[in-house]
Amino acid sequence: MAIEYQKGNSLLHNLDARTKLLMFIGITMAAVIIMDPILMGILFLLIYWLGTKAIDRQLLNQNLRVLVVIFLTFSLFQIIFFTPKDAHFLFYLVPFKQWIPVTIEGLIRGVAVFFRFFSVVLSVHLMLYSTPPVELALTITEKGKRKFSATDILTILVIAGVLIVATLPLVINSEPITWLPNPLYQTLFMLVSCLVLAFVVQRVTSHGLPPEMGLALTLGFSTVGLLTKQTQKITDAQKARGYDVKPKNLVRRVQVLTALLIPIFLATLERSQDISIAILSRGFDYNISKRTFRREFKFQKFDYIFIAGVLTIILAGMLLNHFQLGNLTEQFIFNLMK
Amino acid sequence: MTYPIEFKNVSFSYTGSQSLALSEINLTIAPGEIVLITGPAGSGKTTLCSCINGLIPHFHEGQLSGDVTIGPFNTRKARVGGLASLVGMVFQDPESQLVTNSVLDEVAFGPENLGIAREEINQRIQSALEATRLTGYEEREPHNLSGGEQQACVIAATHAMHPEIYVMDEPLANLDPAGRAYIFNLVVQVARQRGKTLVIVEHALEETLPLVERIIIMDEGHIVRDGPTQEVLAQGDIPHVFKRPDVMRLANLYQLPEMPLTPGQFHQALRKKYSLHSLSNKTYQNGHVHDGEAVIEFKNVSFSYTQEKETLHDVNLNIKSGEMVAILGRNGSGKTTLVRHIIGLQQPSQGSVHVIGKDVAVTPTHMLARDVGFCFQNPNHQIVSFTVKDEMTFGLKTHNVDPSEFDSRIREALEIVDLSDKIDWEVFDLGKGQKQRLALASVLTLKPKILVIDEPTTGQDPEMIDEIFAIIKRLNEMGTTILLITHRIDYAALFTKRAVVLQYGRISYDGPIRKLLLDHELMRSNSLDLPELTKLAVELSDLGVPGWAVGYDEMKSYLDQIVEVQHGN
Repeated sequence: MAIEYQKGNSLLHNLDARTKLLMFIGITMAAVIIMDPILMGILFLLIYWLGTKAIDRQLLNQNLRVLVVIFLTFSLFQIIFFTPKDAHFLFYLVPFKQWIPVTIEGLIRGVAVFFRFFSVVLSVHLMLYSTPPVELALTITEKGKRKFSATDILTILVIAGVLIVATLPLVINSEPITWLPNPLYQTLFMLVSCLVLAFVVQRVTSHGLPPEMGLALTLGFSTVGLLTKQTQKITDAQKARGYDVKPKNLVRRVQVLTALLIPIFLATLERSQDISIAILSRGFDYNISKRTFRREFKFQKFDYIFIAGVLTIILAGMLLNHFQLGNLTEQFIFNLMK
Repeated sequence: MTYPIEFKNVSFSYTGSQSLALSEINLTIAPGEIVLITGPAGSGKTTLCSCINGLIPHFHEGQLSGDVTIGPFNTRKARVGGLASLVGMVFQDPESQLVTNSVLDEVAFGPENLGIAREEINQRIQSALEATRLTGYEEREPHNLSGGEQQACVIAATHAMHPEIYVMDEPLANLDPAGRAYIFNLVVQVARQRGKTLVIVEHALEETLPLVERIIIMDEGHIVRDGPTQEVLAQGDIPHVFKRPDVMRLANLYQLPEMPLTPGQFHQALRKKYSLHSLSNKTYQNGHVHDGEAVIEFKNVSFSYTQEKETLHDVNLNIKSGEMVAILGRNGSGKTTLVRHIIGLQQPSQGSVHVIGKDVAVTPTHMLARDVGFCFQNPNHQIVSFTVKDEMTFGLKTHNVDPSEFDSRIREALEIVDLSDKIDWEVFDLGKGQKQRLALASVLTLKPKILVIDEPTTGQDPEMIDEIFAIIKRLNEMGTTILLITHRIDYAALFTKRAVVLQYGRISYDGPIRKLLLDHELMRSNSLDLPELTKLAVELSDLGVPGWAVGYDEMKSYLDQIVEVQHGN
């Protein structure tokens, strides 16, 4: 099911689109950094609580329900396959044959993985539900100059530096990446990816995409819903002509899909032609680098609070990792066992 | 600075086409003029418009010769975007021109492109929305507005760019009668207010003629007539190209000195020239009640798309075999929702619908389709093949018709819609009117007992509308039960006997269509406009002309009676 923007007037709705984008990036980073299932669970509930304030709970659950199964499988994989050498053995999944051992570490990892995935996905959902796509696209669209200055490079380096420091304990603590055995390559790989990420973040936050791309995105967003409607109309027309659009026979079902393709193809072609004519007639190529924007994008008080909150979570996670406290729950259980 | 439009020896042919879409056009339109361009489908009107804003030669590919200039700019050298700041275009289908997700963004889109400062954009939005009476719609989604509101939104968006020239290509075609009057007055008012040029392409002459100053008639890429409104009208009709509205043709017949543009003017001129006599026998022609078995039965049907609002409310309707019924009502009154029940695309939330004895709630659509033919408003949504022949065979195959019957059935159906010679054509090469007829023909191959037709006349020229109604009438005479959704009440009154009017999902009228014409209050509240000739009949009602008269021949016979007596004296 498509995630469509829901009108509303909640805290999330009133945040700047960039804040929500940063929230999504921030939560993704937090999900990478924080390994403890309970901390992750709390974070997840926090996001979910924010979500229910903004969007109809039923709608939110409806979309998440499907994902529960998928993420549970991911957790299961973790539980089954994460078995370090000195792990605390619990039981075998297939008891009599002594197949597939399950360990405490695996179990904790599994639960954490579930919440990590879910937090990331939920934050994407919330961003899309509470932000009009146009705003999202426009907010990352460049307004004004496009030259590359020294301050830009400096900003990129600073962001990259922060990223490197952030990921350092992770890299040191974790086992080597299997497909990149050489530690030198590993370090290089990390440096390059940090730089690339920093570059993207800097571009998007300070300059944004070129207007052509931003507007293409905007138009794309407004067309998706339209095409869905059009597909429905075409299916109706076919039903009305005696076409059984849901046959039980699989081969017939493929044929049905091909019959749908021609009109959709025609409709899409027509629509893209129409849009080109419409935007050209309204002066789209008048002088694109001088284009102005009606919407003003300004950070409000809550935006700063929000960003500060997300940053705190990330930093706290990093600190915990740094002081070897990243696996609170695990350690707590081991202490109990002693 | 003023910006006259000038065409110097302009010819154009689209890539891949042998014929000239425009040939040797010489034309000057002075700043501030209000010009109507008319002519049959495919006569080059839209091509001419596209030349004015530079879509030709910059977007549509083809061979252009001669020069088009807008003030100091030659369109060959200027970019479309540059010209867009001078020329505002509005096309026929409002939905295809809406590019954003809110009315505010839509109106702002043009000024933003022109690099207007934020404060001024906001001012322009305000005044554009005021001018188009869309204030309060700022946050609405354009795609969820009614057709008339969508077109108003497009006009607001064009207006906000403050163009010097407005070019409108059939802006009224997709609207219901009330929407048409509203939009057309809006267009003229917007242009007049700012003293700007307005070029409008339209088939609907009744509405446009009283407001335009100059008429250009086009045919096969040529300008065949061009001049001030009165002059052009005085020169009479051109067969297959230009047919004056009935009121004017009657005026010609009775040799009225001045060409009347409205029924009121006709009445006055008629009184001035002749002394009129009352009709002696006032007969009220009661539409006879059709008898036959009921084939469609709606019993207490209610339906809602969302929980808040009911689209249909407690509808009771019986359609008898062999009837032809017009379904009327304003945009969004539930007409399409109603007929979708007949083929099971919608199932009643309450009540029941039976079609030839089958309950639609339990019969799948593809089974109902054996008896019910359904023609959609937009033929593009219905066509599933690349060639005419495949398209015609499609339905036959899905219904497991004996292949030996294919040929005869296809030939028969194509003959009815007059497309027999196009059987080997590709669907892409057909014009819109032809596609509409192909869609109808492909439905006819299945020999449906009931035929539902949704708005067959949008975007067709008058001659095609005549043709389509002739086809529908022939089918009805052959015994097909027909339900017709239409905005053309003049044609509906000529061809059908019974009308059903839907208002906010309820049936507000069900009876003889001519009787409906007498109930002006009901007509107005459903935004149904009286046909022009009926307006004339109303003007003459004190002389005994029945207020339900429609059609040229009918009106002529009444006029003959009231004027003829005078001749005898």
